Amino acid sequence: MNKMEKALHELGEMDDLAARSSPIHDMSATAKLLTTIAYIVTVVSFDKYDLSGLIPLVLWPVLLFQLGGIPVRTCFYKLRIVLPLVMAVGLFNPIFDRAPLLFLGSVAVSGGVVSMLTLMLKGVLCLMASFLLMATTPIDCLCASLRTLRVPKTLVTLLLLTYRYVGVMTEELAIMTDAYHLRAPGQKGIHVSAWGSFLGQLLLRSMDRAQELYASMLLRGYHEHFHYAPVKPFTAKDAAYLAVCLGVFALLRFVPVAALLGGALVR
Amino acid sequence: MIEFENVSFSYEKDRPVLRDVSFRIETGEAVGLIGANGAGKSTVMKLLLGLLSGEGRIAVDGVEVRKENLREIRRKLGFVLQNSDNQMFMPTVCEDMMFGPLNYMVSREQAEKKVDEVLAQLGLTELKYRHNHRISGGEKRMAAIATILAMEPEAVLMDEPSSALDPCNRRLVINVIRSLPQTKLITSHDLDMIWDTCSRVILLSGGRVAADGPAREILRDRELLEKHRMELPLRFQS
Amino acid sequence: MHMADALLAPAVAATMYVASGTVAGISIHQLKKDDEPQKLPTMAVTAALVFAGQMINYTIPGTGSSGHMCGGMLLSALLGPQAGFLSMIVILAIQCLFFADGGLMALGANIWNMAFYGCFVGYYLIWRPIVRSHWFGEGKAALRGRIIAASIIGCIVTLQFGAFSVVLETSLSGITELPFGAFVALMQPIHLAIGLVEGLITAAVLTFVFESRPELLRDVEAEAGALPAKRSLKAVIAILAVLALVVGGGLSLLASSNPDGLEWALFGNAEEGYAENMGLDEDDFGLSSKAADTAGSIQESTSFLPDYAFADNDTPVGTTVSGIVGSAMVAGVALLICLAGGFFRKKKHS
Repeated sequence: MNKMEKALHELGEMDDLAARSSPIHDMSATAKLLTTIAYIVTVVSFDKYDLSGLIPLVLWPVLLFQLGGIPVRTCFYKLRIVLPLVMAVGLFNPIFDRAPLLFLGSVAVSGGVVSMLTLMLKGVLCLMASFLLMATTPIDCLCASLRTLRVPKTLVTLLLLTYRYVGVMTEELAIMTDAYHLRAPGQKGIHVSAWGSFLGQLLLRSMDRAQELYASMLLRGYHEHFHYAPVKPFTAKDAAYLAVCLGVFALLRFVPVAALLGGALVR
Repeated sequence: MIEFENVSFSYEKDRPVLRDVSFRIETGEAVGLIGANGAGKSTVMKLLLGLLSGEGRIAVDGVEVRKENLREIRRKLGFVLQNSDNQMFMPTVCEDMMFGPLNYMVSREQAEKKVDEVLAQLGLTELKYRHNHRISGGEKRMAAIATILAMEPEAVLMDEPSSALDPCNRRLVINVIRSLPQTKLITSHDLDMIWDTCSRVILLSGGRVAADGPAREILRDRELLEKHRMELPLRFQS
Repeated sequence: MHMADALLAPAVAATMYVASGTVAGISIHQLKKDDEPQKLPTMAVTAALVFAGQMINYTIPGTGSSGHMCGGMLLSALLGPQAGFLSMIVILAIQCLFFADGGLMALGANIWNMAFYGCFVGYYLIWRPIVRSHWFGEGKAALRGRIIAASIIGCIVTLQFGAFSVVLETSLSGITELPFGAFVALMQPIHLAIGLVEGLITAAVLTFVFESRPELLRDVEAEAGALPAKRSLKAVIAILAVLALVVGGGLSLLASSNPDGLEWALFGNAEEGYAENMGLDEDDFGLSSKAADTAGSIQESTSFLPDYAFADNDTPVGTTVSGIVGSAMVAGVALLICLAGGFFRKKKHS
């Protein structure tokens, strides 16, 4: 499988997940989008040493994974892009930030270790949140919700159309890449002599394709307006979900729940 | 229903693509438009749909193809593109099928009812909520035909409807075409398919009408076909 | 160069959203004045093409490593800055939503760093002035030369701006302890190399388009009548000079104030062998931040017990223990949720 085929596979996987049905899938996309953003902002706003404050926030994605019936494995595969980046930022912390921050019995834990763990956890949680949004919301519902949130029509239509053709283009390039490597065994990438023509050929063909696509739109009566899938109404249930989530996030942000819980037990 | 009168067209001066093309297609006729590559088949389609404009008179149901009439003309004609990916630009099959009707101010309920009706007619009901980028080539072609039928056109134009299909799907498409009561104009190199679906054939060659007559005569005329760089349908070749 | 959510403070992310959103609004408005309906399909197909095209590995001769194409310059040369900008937004959104490349909250910043500079700076300050100028004389060969020059200079300059913004945003977010100057000195040279490679690839694609269908390129057909450039080349050179000053200033600032920082930056750079991963911007960025933290930490650890060590913890030991116990309880609850979920699903299936 080349890179493009992998990307296609990933796209297909997300489509399949989003097409399932569960209590989370049935929720309005707007409610899900807003809670996701609130969650990410909450996570990111924690102090770099506040690991114990951050930990209870793990429960939200865990709950969503279970309620939505989403396999965790798919999500962890996606971590490969974000995690190295965040790790690289955090990895040297323990070595150079050696000032003891806390003591576990007689063992001192440096600030660097805590801040590294916090940063990594933040990275993982943010990724899980967006992943869960996309794994439970089909792109057309998300776009419809963007429209209700007053995102300009041009941009939403462009997103929908582009998403439609990302698959087509990626597939064509996957085939071209295979065809290239079959005739150029042992080459890792595209040789300099074909730098321009490889993508250029497809680009020219794509321009013709765009013309045909536009013709097809015109022939079916297109004139400036695009009609979208009906938006799932924002029900009282969605409002309640949104309110509860926002409330819980605020609570977890400002009250050190983990510490209090533990404190009650230790005492 | 469709009239071409002395139609000529050229992209560049002195290199005409169509020269003095004239024909009439009556309501309910099924016509195959055949010819070698570059004979001008697509140009005929594009002129008819008002995507290009040339010289001469083209009319649909007595309405001349001109800029101010385009909306009316295009309402009457449904065009199935050769590449279904270019035809289906909405996320799901259902939304794609509703795109045309909604643009012609049909209410959402009516449009959806029409979608269900057409899908049932073609036996594609389970495709309704599928994503266009996730269905197979055969399904895509059928869905593309469905998007056109949902607009209730009076005539259906098709560009290579059987290309790149497996035998089973090809047969399926042929049966669908045969079942359509509308006026049909089909371009193809698949002469067996033309034989199965059309009663009349127009043979274009070098931008001119080289022959126009019953399919069973033209498609069995080896000499005529070979003169214009075509071959007999496979079923007559043994 | 995709920023992740965890590397930005909410305030910075929100600011970048506002900035990018404003530019998007203006772009949409300007586009509507042109023939927008006709442009949408072209924009969508080109955006999809660029999305896929960025996955192609181009072998860099003589190095064994590979580079990638720069989307912003290509899109603005084909579609113009406004349409190109909107297309880039959509590409970045799809990368972030479906491939976890970047983040939902960091999207505003990513749009600014990659799309704004690539399209607006790349087009108005570089592509148009150069292509419409009289560099290399007259005729087709000269025009081809100008296209190549514009692509390369455009990619380098826009990437420099982008890298600088990454530094600025990360620093303002308080994620890195590295002095601003050192961070700049680390990021800019790396992206100079990446920009050169991306520029060469983009130039190759655009010259191919120029040879086959020159009318697809912006400002190229206008060249026949040799329209005077609206902005002189002098302005471009002035901007390049300012940028050089910023980079140079950062370098010297760093060299004088914190030699260790530079050493670490260079050390980290050589060790990582970034060229191997040149295409994966994240790695470069990550690496730089790693080094960034390194250098920052040296400074911190050399000062006697940094004062923030016990920040937000009045009685560190006590809170710590309860924090750990509480976290363990949370983990327990999470486990229970998983078990319950599995139980109910099994029940549903049976």
